[in-house]
Amino acid sequence: MNAQNFEIIVGAGTCGIAAGSQDVYNAFKEKLPNANLHSVGCIGMCHREVLAQIKVDQNQSYLYGDLTKKNVSKVIDYHMGQGELPQELLITSSDDKEKINDYLGNQTRIALRNVGKLDPTSLDDYTERGGHKALKKILQDGMTPEQVIEEIKTSGLRGRGGAGFPTFMKWQFARNTKASEKYLICNGDEGDPGAFMDRSLLEGDPHNVLEGMLVAAYAIGASKGYAYIRAEYPLAVKNFTKAIEDATKAGLLGKNIMGSDFSFEVKVKQGAGAFVCGEETALIASIEGERGMPRIRPPFPAVKGVFERPTIINNVETLSNLPWIIVHGGKEYASYGTEDSKGTKVFALAGAIRRGGLVEIPMGMTIREVLEKVGGGSKTGRPLKAVQLGGPSGGCVPEKLFDTEISYKAINATGAIMGSGGMIVMDDSTCMVDLAKYFLDFTQLESCGKCTFCRIGTIRMKEILTRICDGEGVMEDIDTLEDLAAKIKDSSLCGLGQTAPNPVLTTLKYFKDEYIGHIQDKTCKAAVCKKLITHTIVQETCIACSLCKKGCPVDAITGQPKKLGTFKINQETCINCGMCVEVCRDDSILVK
Amino acid sequence: MVKQSLRATVDESLVKEWIDKIGRDSPATVPLLQAVQSEYGYLPRAAMDYIVEHTNISGGQLYGVATFYSQFRLKPVGRHKIKVCHGTACHVRGADRVSTALRFSLDLQGESDTSPSGGYTVENVACVGCCSLAPVMVINDDVKGDLTGALAERELKKHARKNKEAIGVK
Repeated sequence: MNAQNFEIIVGAGTCGIAAGSQDVYNAFKEKLPNANLHSVGCIGMCHREVLAQIKVDQNQSYLYGDLTKKNVSKVIDYHMGQGELPQELLITSSDDKEKINDYLGNQTRIALRNVGKLDPTSLDDYTERGGHKALKKILQDGMTPEQVIEEIKTSGLRGRGGAGFPTFMKWQFARNTKASEKYLICNGDEGDPGAFMDRSLLEGDPHNVLEGMLVAAYAIGASKGYAYIRAEYPLAVKNFTKAIEDATKAGLLGKNIMGSDFSFEVKVKQGAGAFVCGEETALIASIEGERGMPRIRPPFPAVKGVFERPTIINNVETLSNLPWIIVHGGKEYASYGTEDSKGTKVFALAGAIRRGGLVEIPMGMTIREVLEKVGGGSKTGRPLKAVQLGGPSGGCVPEKLFDTEISYKAINATGAIMGSGGMIVMDDSTCMVDLAKYFLDFTQLESCGKCTFCRIGTIRMKEILTRICDGEGVMEDIDTLEDLAAKIKDSSLCGLGQTAPNPVLTTLKYFKDEYIGHIQDKTCKAAVCKKLITHTIVQETCIACSLCKKGCPVDAITGQPKKLGTFKINQETCINCGMCVEVCRDDSILVK
Repeated sequence: MVKQSLRATVDESLVKEWIDKIGRDSPATVPLLQAVQSEYGYLPRAAMDYIVEHTNISGGQLYGVATFYSQFRLKPVGRHKIKVCHGTACHVRGADRVSTALRFSLDLQGESDTSPSGGYTVENVACVGCCSLAPVMVINDDVKGDLTGALAERELKKHARKNKEAIGVK
């Protein structure tokens, strides 16, 4: 075989780059200078980064993972006809139809269909993979805006940003509002810590997001648009900006698109780091150059939004589904999912899970199926305790409810929310009180300060949670937390405040015993809360290597190297940071 | 690495250039601040004053916006910037130890986020979107994943040696 004719694609999303994809790319380039080598977005198998696919010819391809600068030569050698197939690196190949990877095989990829497969900086690549078919269908085969809205209504698509409002309904409001100018905004201000699907979509398939924007703009009659992207996502900003330039040159954006009367222009706006700007009216304020504070609704943005014009704000993932729905029909999309939740949803699976990454699954799958079939179960081997859905606005679903199906209705019934799709898996080393405190800390910092209960109530809740974590809580604190939570929910203007107490409420509902343990017994079962634990050295197993002593930032450990039994931790100076546990090679630090 | 570090001397002709390019009205507020910060690493007083004097943006609005968004800072920044991710996945997997290790290695006292020598500024950020590599930190634009406290310290030392930066004693 002639290795020089290969097509090689290397995953180079932000996480791929972090794992070292540039080194792997360079190795391929050096050894196979004539191969057709290019970088693509993230295929979503973050647990096996760096990933590369080698297409030998039309029918033969190999997907490799865990690549490094060093071991990539094994792959190259094999394809040059030297050495064995490196099985440990092979994920799946076209030779082996049986070995369809569980991780990818159990997914249904609609929004993510191109991510990790095409070169995001190439418009031609997108066209080759069926891009702009939706646009052609609308503009050349002639669909009216009403027909587009009807198709989306049939699909049952709901906003994927968190609130889950039916997309067609929102559009209808804007469509019905008469105005000289309307706006369509792509919300890529993905603020939920633990969710990164919007980043991956913008980085890995920007033309699809752009086509989605065009579909939406056509439906509501918008002529101007913004893509509001977090500044923390530099690669997404870069790829999306390039997509806008290329599409404009190709006549797919700008005046009279594809020769029709439809004109639409897009500008990129970089967010400046404010979680509340995920909220529609706050995002609008931010675009207008103000502090990102929510406004009272009505008037709804669909009637009066950016610069007082009717404005529709759709999430990146919502937009990414649109071209597929227009091409395949709303009915086809609605064939996936449940009664109230149609289609698919992308989740960012992370935490104590074996195969983490971006996964797109049909609605209706249970949480357990996602964790086991797609995620491969616990990473640490310790029992899984809960999953956190919806980030700071969501809640924790305990193990006993893992058979809950993933739909808006069923998830809401647990007290969590679907949210934008963060799914953080936790084993028994996570303290639920500490987690609740973590989220409260986040929402308290991110509260814009407009509504009193959100501004001050979250501080009070955080103080109480801190007290409990420090072992200074009293039983009445639990009632106070519940009382404050109800008041914050009732008297906040926007989603941030209305949902901020959710992490506390769900952990109180399902893990009350941990709160009580912290308050009454002054113990933290998961050994996380620093004031309730101590670190001591187990002399029976300690080999006196002195690594802990070197690793201790406060010099709390004394002992003579190689002298057994001499190592001790001074409890007065120890700050329980856990650094010694990390470096100890034979588990000789007891945390209790 | 930021182009200029610590207390910067502001080149007014640059600020003028940005204003001409980006605009003078309210919607230009955030992009203008972003331009200033990407040049100087923070928002120097002189640049802010220049913007207020030469645009339709009031001082109140400019400072209001600058203090609202977490991206902006009014204090000078070190020659290198380390962002420690404190997203949910990183929190659960030990981001705290990464921060502790860095703070001790760089001898950061109290509220200070910049090392005494001006070499490094350490910031906590909400999420960099590399959750599967948690816990993660970003040195300048370089993402380091799967860290422990000890590994973070090692990465810092490696970086300091390479860039001839002095760090704390330990």
